[in-house]
Amino acid sequence: MIEYFKPWLLFWLAAIVAHGYMDYSFYRKWQGWAQGIRQPFPHKGKQRRIVKIWLAEVLLQRQLFGLSLFRWLVHLLIFWGFAGLALLSLTTFFLRPLDFLGIGWAHYFFSGKGYLFTKVWGDSFGLALLLGLVLAGIRRFILKPAQQGNKQMDIYLVAFLFWLTLSGFFLEGLRLSLSPGGMDSYSFIGRLFMPAGIFTVEQLKFMLVATWSIHAFSALALLVYLPHSKMMHSILAPVVIALNASEESEREDLYWPDIGKYKAKKSRET
Amino acid sequence: MARHRKIQGEEIARNLNRRQLIELEACARCGECTNWCPVYAQDKRECISARGKLAMLRSMLDGSLTAEERTEFLQGLYQCSACGQCHIVCPVRINTPELWEQARYALVSAGIPQPEGQVKQLTTIKGFNNSYGKPQEERGLWAKNAWDAGFLKSLVPLWSERPSSVLYFAGCTASFDPAMQFVAVQTARLLQEAGVEFSILGSDEPCCIGKLRRMGDPAFTEEAQNRARQFDNSGVRTIIVSCAGCYKGLHSDYHSLWPGAQKVLHVTQLYEQLLHDGLLRVQQEVPLVVTYHDPCHLGRHNRIYDPPRNVLQAVPALKLVEMARHRAFSACCGMGGGLKAANPELQHKVSASRIREAEATGAQAVVTPCQTCYLGLLHGVEETSSSLKVYHLNEMLIRSVCPEVSREAIDAAFSGDQVKLK
Repeated sequence: MIEYFKPWLLFWLAAIVAHGYMDYSFYRKWQGWAQGIRQPFPHKGKQRRIVKIWLAEVLLQRQLFGLSLFRWLVHLLIFWGFAGLALLSLTTFFLRPLDFLGIGWAHYFFSGKGYLFTKVWGDSFGLALLLGLVLAGIRRFILKPAQQGNKQMDIYLVAFLFWLTLSGFFLEGLRLSLSPGGMDSYSFIGRLFMPAGIFTVEQLKFMLVATWSIHAFSALALLVYLPHSKMMHSILAPVVIALNASEESEREDLYWPDIGKYKAKKSRET
Repeated sequence: MARHRKIQGEEIARNLNRRQLIELEACARCGECTNWCPVYAQDKRECISARGKLAMLRSMLDGSLTAEERTEFLQGLYQCSACGQCHIVCPVRINTPELWEQARYALVSAGIPQPEGQVKQLTTIKGFNNSYGKPQEERGLWAKNAWDAGFLKSLVPLWSERPSSVLYFAGCTASFDPAMQFVAVQTARLLQEAGVEFSILGSDEPCCIGKLRRMGDPAFTEEAQNRARQFDNSGVRTIIVSCAGCYKGLHSDYHSLWPGAQKVLHVTQLYEQLLHDGLLRVQQEVPLVVTYHDPCHLGRHNRIYDPPRNVLQAVPALKLVEMARHRAFSACCGMGGGLKAANPELQHKVSASRIREAEATGAQAVVTPCQTCYLGLLHGVEETSSSLKVYHLNEMLIRSVCPEVSREAIDAAFSGDQVKLK
């Protein structure tokens, strides 16, 4: 593991502002939702069914699988890729202070052998996200299915996530270029982004700090953008899926319909 | 002006429930709804799609919808048959039909009225207690006329004179529309053939007022409670309806207001049971190839898919073929949700598309157990100049059980050219 300068103070200040803004935006949204009529959550006696539906529809996205295999693959890659990286970031957020305090197992992940595990984790989920975004881009800009909305908010989000993922891999490539040998076999994607050997160590260090800053502040920008983007669905869709399951969990025609059996054709095709 | 829009938005939000407010922001904008919406297939404006309506309603609540967008949104909201297809295919499971109906209610409560055609229809229903604007005294005449013409085995008793274990609720269309009275007559005759004891309310039969809920009329809850009280006070235990709209109204819309809603059955559910128990005997062959049109109010909204199909399959020599879209994916005929009242031409186009789909099966006829869909599909036949026949499900059963009570015979008798069978 290499040590390099990171503008932590600026980052933490920005993180507090970005997080504060995001929290305030969510609070305003909650105020808006709370204006509505209160409704019960009729879950008694059907908790297992609700959980089963929720797992199938949120974690496996079975409903998309039924509609389009390609869309399911794209969305699953983006969903799991993003979830895996978000988990890594959250873990870092909470463990980093412990690492500073020298607590053993936190140190193991950031400086010890466990660091290699985080590299494999990051690269695997990063690859999933990158693949998903590339396929989403192909679908959106080349295949152009008629159902697709191409409002600015649709394009911005894909572009933003692509930028974040790509800058993350460039950052990893730069880290590897300054790291002792052997590390790159764990960053099996990051090593593809290692710069050619035309740069001096000083130049690489400068590029590393710059790339870290770009990646880190872009991630904070995502926090600001999130409440106003269509990414809200990633937070609210699981809520709506659970609420609907509480009301309609017995509906076989809704939850496990066999489109193949029905030979259903979309209006667009008829 | 912007402040006024915001205040109005808050007023609308207060009449939506929390889940619905969350749903407005949960849309992933995937556009799957646009692939399936039968109305969007005819009018490809974004405001028609569920995706567009969700986004526009969200903007309306925060006061950022422009005047032009507001006009578009209102068109989209009311030119929707609330068929629920978008709910079935939505990966997020947004309960769209509930949302559209509640949004209409919220808008009306905030002082934004429905389109003229719908207001007219609602005024008629509330003024006359039926959607035809006819005197209530005429409501039960179909039974007397059917008895006089010899279509019934006995005169159907009025509930006030002889209450039974079962109430047959004919509904406005089968009671008042001369072209649809055959549905009430055939239902009554089939129940008599099976030995079911039943009565009718006659002129005391109210409109189910499901349309008030469909179009967001704030009077719905109070009116529904009045009707529920009427049924309870009359000692009604089981209600049989022959109209999918009345079923949706009395069974689903009243559900949270009246425990008796559980005891409302659609006539196809009863036919299925009677056939199974051997009380209703199909004898004559009906050599027809037919396709079945699922009414949205029965199928997607209430999951009654199999009983009507089982009834049709019980008819000797009748062959049932399915359309490309059936059961949960059945395409709407466009008659629901007040679409017909808001934009008749659009309904005709939606129905024409369904008729073309029915034609593609090679069937000789399309059968439906709903008089509203029946009328809607006829518009489609007219629009496409199709030779496809449209039948109410009763007609298939009656041909096999007692063919003398045919629609043609009833139409002739009721139009003055009486056919005496007795």
